[in-house]
Amino acid sequence: MYNNSSSSNNNNNHHHQPQTSHTSTSRSSDYSAGGDGEPSAAGNKWASRLLKECARAIYDKDSSKIHHLLWMLNELASPYGDCDQKLASYFLQALFCKATESGQRCFKTLTLVAEKSHCFDSARKLILKFQEVSPWTTFGHVAANGAILEALDGEPKLHIIDISNTLCTQWPTLLEALATRNDDTPHLKLTVVVTANIVRSVMKEISQRMEKFARLMGVPFEFNVISGLNHLGQLTKEALGVVEDEAVAVNCMGALRRVPVEGRAAVIGMFRSLGPKVVTVVEEEADFSSTRYDFVKCFEECLRFYTVYFEMLEESFTPTSNEKLMLERECSRGIVRVLACDDDQDNEGERERRERGSQWSERLKEAFSSVGFSDDVVDDVKALLKRYKPGWALAQPYQNETGLYLTWKEEPVVWASAWKP
Amino acid sequence: MMKGGFEVVHATLDMIQPHREPIWDFASFGFPTTSVAAAAVSSIPRQSLENRCINLERNELSDWVEQVTKKLIDDLPAQNTDTDDHHSSTLQAPADIPMVCEDSFPPSLLGDFRPRKTVTSSDFDELQWSNVNGGNDRGLSRLDEQGLSLITLLLECAVAISIDNLGEAHRMLLELTQMASPYALSCAERVVAYFAKAMSSRVINSWLGICSPLINYKTVHCAFQAFNNVSPFIKFAHFTSNQAILEAFHRRDRVHIIDLDIMQGLQWPALFHILATRMEGPPHVTMTGMGSSMELLTETGKQLSNFAKRLGMSFEFHPIAKKFGEIDITMVRLRRGETLAIHWLQHSLYDATGPDWKTMRLMEQLGPRIITLVEQDLSHGGSFLDRFVGSLHYYSTMFDSLGAYLAADDPNRHRIEHCLLFREINNILAIGGPARSGEDKMKQWRSELAARNSFVQVPMSSNSMAQAQLILNMFPPAHGYRLVQGDGTLRLGWKDTSLFTASAWTSHVSR
Repeated sequence: MYNNSSSSNNNNNHHHQPQTSHTSTSRSSDYSAGGDGEPSAAGNKWASRLLKECARAIYDKDSSKIHHLLWMLNELASPYGDCDQKLASYFLQALFCKATESGQRCFKTLTLVAEKSHCFDSARKLILKFQEVSPWTTFGHVAANGAILEALDGEPKLHIIDISNTLCTQWPTLLEALATRNDDTPHLKLTVVVTANIVRSVMKEISQRMEKFARLMGVPFEFNVISGLNHLGQLTKEALGVVEDEAVAVNCMGALRRVPVEGRAAVIGMFRSLGPKVVTVVEEEADFSSTRYDFVKCFEECLRFYTVYFEMLEESFTPTSNEKLMLERECSRGIVRVLACDDDQDNEGERERRERGSQWSERLKEAFSSVGFSDDVVDDVKALLKRYKPGWALAQPYQNETGLYLTWKEEPVVWASAWKP
Repeated sequence: MMKGGFEVVHATLDMIQPHREPIWDFASFGFPTTSVAAAAVSSIPRQSLENRCINLERNELSDWVEQVTKKLIDDLPAQNTDTDDHHSSTLQAPADIPMVCEDSFPPSLLGDFRPRKTVTSSDFDELQWSNVNGGNDRGLSRLDEQGLSLITLLLECAVAISIDNLGEAHRMLLELTQMASPYALSCAERVVAYFAKAMSSRVINSWLGICSPLINYKTVHCAFQAFNNVSPFIKFAHFTSNQAILEAFHRRDRVHIIDLDIMQGLQWPALFHILATRMEGPPHVTMTGMGSSMELLTETGKQLSNFAKRLGMSFEFHPIAKKFGEIDITMVRLRRGETLAIHWLQHSLYDATGPDWKTMRLMEQLGPRIITLVEQDLSHGGSFLDRFVGSLHYYSTMFDSLGAYLAADDPNRHRIEHCLLFREINNILAIGGPARSGEDKMKQWRSELAARNSFVQVPMSSNSMAQAQLILNMFPPAHGYRLVQGDGTLRLGWKDTSLFTASAWTSHVSR
């Protein structure tokens, strides 16, 4: 717990000095926070300002300033209000955890509750709704499927190793493509590696549905699930059931960010050892990795990323959508995890130290060379984006960079790439 | 003859001109029976609403509270909550069964989420049991494992907070705030979501040691207006008060109204209209408007002045950007010969008036001819647990009333629930209540006024009652709202719970 030091190094930029007793006066401030999007003196983005100041104050260990800012955030925040209020609420939670050193406990509790109320129906409903209103996940699916189909074209025995948490929503279109493309429909073995605990419980239902769908499509199909891994580096060829005559594709959807930073090179090396024809990597465009020793920088990057994400959610869903709420709550867990938990405290569990596409590229280049997406695939992605509300676009990278970017209001948000040995 | 009759003029109501001197009989509290108005409203049942918690069966959330406390009694010590019998046909008052109160918790964080601590019976003193003879299938059928665990957890959180076990409260609130959604179909789940968030805020403020509020008046006033459009309570307050004021101003030429929290002054155009067109001619009207910001007050004053000018009524506006309980009498520009009305619509959005005892004292000093008071049937004072139980009942009723009419995904409904009701809940549960001060708040103003020698109650007239009934007719579902006259007051509530009470008072030394 922080002690209220009697230091007087307050910046008097704010309306009040913090009161330190319960019986404070009823003096209140007409703070024009502009809730509900109304224009006001403070303007929009008040949350960003207050949060950044608070992060800096925590770093500087300026106790009275911390208290003052946390108080303001607490009064103004709400997870059910506008974007500023939501961001304030979830980041306040993380800052409060940090200040009280209860991040780990908080994260555990939040995760347990989420897992407890998670079931196949709710998970399925959630992801399908999200995919209906936003290309955030479907972008990666379409790009990766395109690259995989091209790389594995003509192969009779396919083995796709799917390291993702999108509940196999990627594969029906691929199965359809396999079924309709050639005269000789190849045999597909799909091995799903589950990294998020929350997903484990629903995989049984998913496997039944996938098998049924494959039967309907007339694709010879085998489905396996690998869960209970502490970390991806533990995977081996044998554990994955990779056989000599198979053409292997490794599909990583938001998977690499769940690997501890120091273990990433090894995991990439392990992928190489599987002898894949193609590795597809899709990640969200944010850097919580290189900034992990600099609290303020990491905080600011985290805030930047989640601001874009929340705004995107706000514009994609209806105001009173429960699905949007679920996704926001998922973010809140991630935010606490990144900002209020020490890395060393954790042996297992989900770290999500995201990296940008350029950073992943550097790593992947050690073991692979990049494969560009063909024009056909790019067209498919463009066609996909047309199905959604305006704001979404495709960006192809600059000369040294690889992959494709999904952009939201011109901000790159998701990166998709393909690699070969 | 009454002017205007019972026709409802679209969007405005004509107030009923008193056809004779109103009843200023200090000795009696009788209800007028001679006017036509009384006859027309005699069909309204005159239920007594002594204890707002009697007859809980119609209130969904109250059903849950009943169920859970029965469960807590039945399962001693706490056991598996899995039961297939939610449809109990009778609930007996278990007054003589002691309830266990454990002091320590097992330290496991990863333990189950079932109730580990039962609540003491004193916490539920106010709740009375009723026989639920299987008649309320709607309420009971919505009870399920999830519902029960939510409400149990909410109650446990409240108890933890009341005994200052903030760490445990925080942990439970982390769970609770993830489990309940404010967009749920179930009103009760929405209430739980907001109550949980309010308690979270309180826990953080406790830890910080700061509890001043930070208020965005513009958002609040906006939500207030939205509420006024879908719910009859504000109009009820306005029109019944206006009627009482009108009657007090009978044959007075110079009048002065002090509105303790004028906001956008929505109330007054209707009164001005009737004053301007009354038989004895319009009076000169002075209005003292009080509020939080001079900017907002000036704007309100301008609007009202323009309106009065169009009516050809002489009007003066004095803004005071202070709280009534923080000014002294010299700040009120009351002139000799002016008949004074003080109007107060109480709410829990923020502390509008400051220290209660000073407010009372200033009222006594001013000696108004009429005080119109509209109170929420909810106390801001008392211990945290008192406020928790009272407000849980109050707001679950309020949420039910909105849910009966508005769709689950109606953005207006969300705005009202979030920007207005949630704000109130937050304030009531906050340290020190809405005023965020350690001050002892008066529990019920009308009792305080009654107890004072300086004031005497003026019974709400049958005309006021008629006004209230007209307003109710404008708001579906009319069958849900309940209007009751009793003890000289008018009460408007939802189903069996009274939510707002309007009363009027006069000063012995009034001008």
